Amino acid sequence: MPSTALALALALTAAAVGRAAPGSDPAAAPDARTASRRYVVERIRFDGLTRTRPSEIRRHLSIAEGELLDDQAVLLSRLRLLQLGWFSRVETHVERGSARGLVTLVFEFTERNTLIVTDLVIGSTGPQPAYGGLGLSQGNFLGLGLALGGAFVYGAPHRFAVRGSFFDPDLALGGLPLVFGVSGIALRGEEFACGEPECNAYRGNYGGAPRLRYDRLGGEVTFGIRPGPFERLLAGYRLERVGAELLAGSAGQPASLTPYTAPALVRTGRSWVSALTGTYDRDTRNDLFFPTQGTRLALNIVFGSEALGGDYEYSRYLLQLESDHELPHGHGLRLFGAAGAAQGDAPFFDRFYAADFAYFSIGPALGRALELNFSTDSRYDAYLALLGAEYGVPLWARGSFFHRGYVAIGGRWLYTAAQPRAGRTPASRSPFSGELALRLDTPVGSFNLSLGYTLDIFL
Amino acid sequence: MTTDRRSLILVAVLAAAAASAYDAPRSLPTSFAAEGGRIVTTVDLAAAFPSDLRKLLSSGLTNVIALHVALLPEGGGEPAAIFGREIDVLYDVWEERWTATVKDPAAPQGRTLTFERWEELRAFLREARGIDLGPVAELGDGRWVAQTRLELNPVSKELLQRTREFIANPAAAGRGGPPSRSVLGAMASYLLRGADSGSDVHVYRSAPFTAREVRPR
Repeated sequence: MPSTALALALALTAAAVGRAAPGSDPAAAPDARTASRRYVVERIRFDGLTRTRPSEIRRHLSIAEGELLDDQAVLLSRLRLLQLGWFSRVETHVERGSARGLVTLVFEFTERNTLIVTDLVIGSTGPQPAYGGLGLSQGNFLGLGLALGGAFVYGAPHRFAVRGSFFDPDLALGGLPLVFGVSGIALRGEEFACGEPECNAYRGNYGGAPRLRYDRLGGEVTFGIRPGPFERLLAGYRLERVGAELLAGSAGQPASLTPYTAPALVRTGRSWVSALTGTYDRDTRNDLFFPTQGTRLALNIVFGSEALGGDYEYSRYLLQLESDHELPHGHGLRLFGAAGAAQGDAPFFDRFYAADFAYFSIGPALGRALELNFSTDSRYDAYLALLGAEYGVPLWARGSFFHRGYVAIGGRWLYTAAQPRAGRTPASRSPFSGELALRLDTPVGSFNLSLGYTLDIFL
Repeated sequence: MTTDRRSLILVAVLAAAAASAYDAPRSLPTSFAAEGGRIVTTVDLAAAFPSDLRKLLSSGLTNVIALHVALLPEGGGEPAAIFGREIDVLYDVWEERWTATVKDPAAPQGRTLTFERWEELRAFLREARGIDLGPVAELGDGRWVAQTRLELNPVSKELLQRTREFIANPAAAGRGGPPSRSVLGAMASYLLRGADSGSDVHVYRSAPFTAREVRPR
């Protein structure tokens, strides 16, 4: 078949080239790639830069002024610059220098939009008829390759969340491949406190139901190293101030402290979360929009302790795995899994909300937005296990605004210890959920038109 | 049949149609002749080269053109013959001329050609001659096609891997976990993309032919 033919042909060409190199007579068959090496790079010029600073470009070059012109070094430099994500096009050529034997190496850039939409939230639930939010990220802040992001979600009158983050993915300090990040969150939310996701107190009057009203304000500082080109090892410290208040229902129903629910998993009054964090991330995927090769492994650990000045003594572990495979006709298969555990006195927002990990949930639970829960289901779990697969069919590539698009068909199996309590009906007891989605890659971000999410709203 | 099932079938059919359109190879003028009992093919590659080919090949840096032609049964199957050729083109900015180094089974060590004028180089490149697709007798009574793959400045996966850097903006949620959900569901703040190395790959198929159409030259 064609793929076999191409493999054979490539092997044949490789063999032909391989035979040429060691035994060839340079005079009879000079290698074209060596012919350019006699020129010295007198100057390197950058054309087309409007935002990115030339000093940032030079850090990623494999060739310098005064060196012999090396085609491979130029190609490596060009590919590294393309991988930064700041440019849609990088072309190279050489021009004559000031004297024979000297050349000017020219890099021509077309800068891409680096301000992208990271969150676009529009939703409606029973207790929150309308809510929405937006998140933006600038991936080349000040032309220095820094990432600056911010997002908010608002649901009147008692729920809002604001998040900001700054990240330097390539901190030049002592010649080490370091990374540095700071993030902050301010959040005010409510969790219903009726014990069961659907109880009589919610019938027609969500405003009169018992609830937990809480706020969080804090941030995290992260410092790390890149041990390899695909790895990141991060350590951080997180501090958050938490305020929580239990409100009885309008008919006098007290707030329930049923196990697994948010009201039982936070200190009332003022409290602090003080925690050390560690993350190991290894990502060899060939593409983040539609990966067809590579793996991702992310392990995240949190240690919260009174010894650090906090009020919560706990640890939290989350392991996420993904493996991507290319199938015939350019189709892709993504296999993924996750396992998580929270031990000790972890606050509810450091536990696992099952609907965040499912494509959809039968029942009131709905995936959260910026950690805000707009549903009546306030059950948070200490354990999580997830297995899933997604089959992708590419539809187009190289579009103008919609660069690429593909259809994803997926399935997930999800286990949480709180699952039995979710099962009011045989259907809602099912650990399976499915997805049919159209995913779009655009200059302003990647979008996911999801049937799973639509089902989540109506189920 | 339920509406849901009909919808799913429709989506599957649309996806399959889109996928096949995505892969469909185009045609390219291809001629076949018999020389010494072997099939010798000529392919007109003019349509395969980009319009700014001159600018590209005059960059002063080495450009690689990889050509592979496979002889395949019309209905699909294993190739009966495969031909590979690589041409390295380099423009010398001081000498103002092009050098092409051609490597194929007939000259595995490479033969070097020099072109003083662009028109000469273009004429050389646009017509791929002398493509040996094996003995005519191999064709038998079947119907065959020649599939041509032309790649401009191919970049190996290994090289792409070497140049990758893990510099993506990490997930904003420091504790890890899934991104926020929404109606449109913006997926994540990904900056690191698979780099478009700029290499162009074109796949073409000739019209079907039989042994009777391969006339002696």
